[in-house]
Amino acid sequence: MNLNLTLQLALSGFLLGGVYSLIALGLSLIFGVMKVINFAHGEMMVWGMYVAYTILVWTGIDPFFSFLVSAAILFLLGYLLQRIVVNRILDFPEAMQVLPLVGMAMVFENSARIIWGPDYISPQSRFSLSSISMGSLTVDTPRLLAFSLAIVITLIVLLFLKKTDTGKAIRAAADNRTGALLVGTNVDKVYAVCFGIGTACVGAAGGLLVPIMPLSPHIGAPFTMISFIIVILGGMGSLAGAMVGGFIIGVAESVGPELITILFHGIGLDLDFPNTMKQVVSFFILIVILLWRPQGLFGGRKG
Amino acid sequence: MKKVNRRTFLRYSAAVGATAAISGVPTLLRAQAPEIKIASIQPVTGVIADIGIAMRRGNQFAVDDINARGGIKSMGGAKLKLLLADTEAKEEVARSEAERVIKEGAICLVGPFLSGNAMAIATLCEQRSVPFVMDVAAADDITRKGFKYTFRVFPVSTNFANNMLLYMGQIMKEKNVSKFRAVVTNTGDLFGRVQAATFIRFFKEKKFPVEVLAHIEYPLGIQDLSAEVSKIKALKPDILIPITRPGDAKLMIRELYKQRVELQAIIGSGPGLYEPEFIRDMKVLAEYVMDNVPWYNPQGKMYKEVNEKFSKLFPGKYIDTNSGYAYLGVAVIVDALERAKSTKAEDLVAALRKSYFKQDLMIGGAVTFDERGDNVNADSAMIQILDGGPKVVLPAKASNAKYVFPMPKQLWERGM
Repeated sequence: MNLNLTLQLALSGFLLGGVYSLIALGLSLIFGVMKVINFAHGEMMVWGMYVAYTILVWTGIDPFFSFLVSAAILFLLGYLLQRIVVNRILDFPEAMQVLPLVGMAMVFENSARIIWGPDYISPQSRFSLSSISMGSLTVDTPRLLAFSLAIVITLIVLLFLKKTDTGKAIRAAADNRTGALLVGTNVDKVYAVCFGIGTACVGAAGGLLVPIMPLSPHIGAPFTMISFIIVILGGMGSLAGAMVGGFIIGVAESVGPELITILFHGIGLDLDFPNTMKQVVSFFILIVILLWRPQGLFGGRKG
Repeated sequence: MKKVNRRTFLRYSAAVGATAAISGVPTLLRAQAPEIKIASIQPVTGVIADIGIAMRRGNQFAVDDINARGGIKSMGGAKLKLLLADTEAKEEVARSEAERVIKEGAICLVGPFLSGNAMAIATLCEQRSVPFVMDVAAADDITRKGFKYTFRVFPVSTNFANNMLLYMGQIMKEKNVSKFRAVVTNTGDLFGRVQAATFIRFFKEKKFPVEVLAHIEYPLGIQDLSAEVSKIKALKPDILIPITRPGDAKLMIRELYKQRVELQAIIGSGPGLYEPEFIRDMKVLAEYVMDNVPWYNPQGKMYKEVNEKFSKLFPGKYIDTNSGYAYLGVAVIVDALERAKSTKAEDLVAALRKSYFKQDLMIGGAVTFDERGDNVNADSAMIQILDGGPKVVLPAKASNAKYVFPMPKQLWERGM
């Protein structure tokens, strides 16, 4: 067993897991409060990426600063989306809530294609090619930065929900919509702000990912999928669950194929677990956890 | 095409008569030649939309170009009309879109970039008896099913593999390399899988001195290659043979840079390593990357003409494998129509079978099909990114630069 390789894989998976956490946090927050699954989540992340990319090209400001602008613009987009579309479908049956949001995903993807074109773009930014060598391990600097910033953002969002009035209103509306209405909370506005925060999280994550991966309008859908897995794994609506789930999936997808290959070889099978099937690892973990804890890792009373 | 029956004939003659009467034009009216509909079916949205759009542009550009030159001359200057179809890179959509354009009256289909999609379309075209000309799709299997209506302008994977051995052999001989330890990677779609498997099979069967340390496959549209590159690094190969697509090609090069993987050469065989966007984004990292692909003929007269118009129409783009073969696909259909003087499927297929379309747009000879429908003269060249642009380095007779091997500087030594 190649310990070095396994460590390297675990490290890069862990760092990317931090960004996954932030993406999933947005989805979980929206679901936890409104019981709506944002199927346009990944596509909105791609918009966050394109905003940061455009700023980089026009002004040269690094995505590690301009992700804040991505977050702000995505907050606005999320706020409007909630007001115009989502607010009208809150009381619909779940199957009917899916369609408008899947439709929005297509709108986001294809409008990005019209605005920014179909080609893959890997912009050159300050950190996009730097890495730090630690012994035999390589730490990818943009991943490390994205990871650290993602954790900071996540903590800020959690603090915001715990300490501020708006945060408390969001939690109140999530707990009991009627109750919150009765004590005079403007639930519509609270919902819109909450949706905005959720999409701002994913926008920020998008900005942070610009130096790490090439962007193209269609790359969003797999991220919707992965954040969905993370959220179910962690417990629907649980923010701590989204964080932990992000790390689990990040590491599992990175190390999983290698470990399974070692296992295969160990029992005398001459088989390599193909990397094409790495999502099998995530889904396998998901199934096991759901069998053991149907409410998800951190899913408590809600969910 | 609309059939002219008695009723439409009467209607048209009445209309012509009326126009002539009103405008007082003398009776020297020429009948308007009918429009001939062909369809471009490409993965214009979905995971490979970038190339899909490049292909559609190539098809459309060819049609416009040919119409501007006077259409199909043997059929009274009939103009071509291009119906557009989008496979979304999905097999089932490819089939239903092909069905749609056939219903809308397409007499021939041209496309698509993806082998898997091509297979779905070829099967349908066979059932509907509609000629289908594949412009870019390399998997051998498509033309191994005994299809009568399917033709392929592009080289097949075995041709790629033969040339890979030929060109690599030449490099090894000239540089006194006795053996390569290599890692082969590919995207997990039909083309990538067939291409990589064919290469590995050829290395083994022909006892070619390349030891394949590992064969790593990853899904099409992957956004993180760090794990795959860590594996490559751990194996310490001499060369990397990546079968890529545009997104993962960029991801791969950057990841190799960041993880400081030492390589003598990167010798790919697929798209992703020659497009203008690859060179624009990778800058000096793109230098010395080699790619065994069908390529334009830098000395060709037809190439120069077509490329001049194309790059004027789409600034920043040039004729490459994709747009070049997209053009050639349409040109071959037009050549067949000229000789068939008919839009009937049987006539067109018979004419396509007898094709001998002389061209110097792409490297390789005149387009002519064998009994399977494969273009026997399709060929690939070894190109290398040198001084910020793709150059043909092998075969020597078509080359416009000398290859550089091994890479004089590793990726991370190039000062990015």
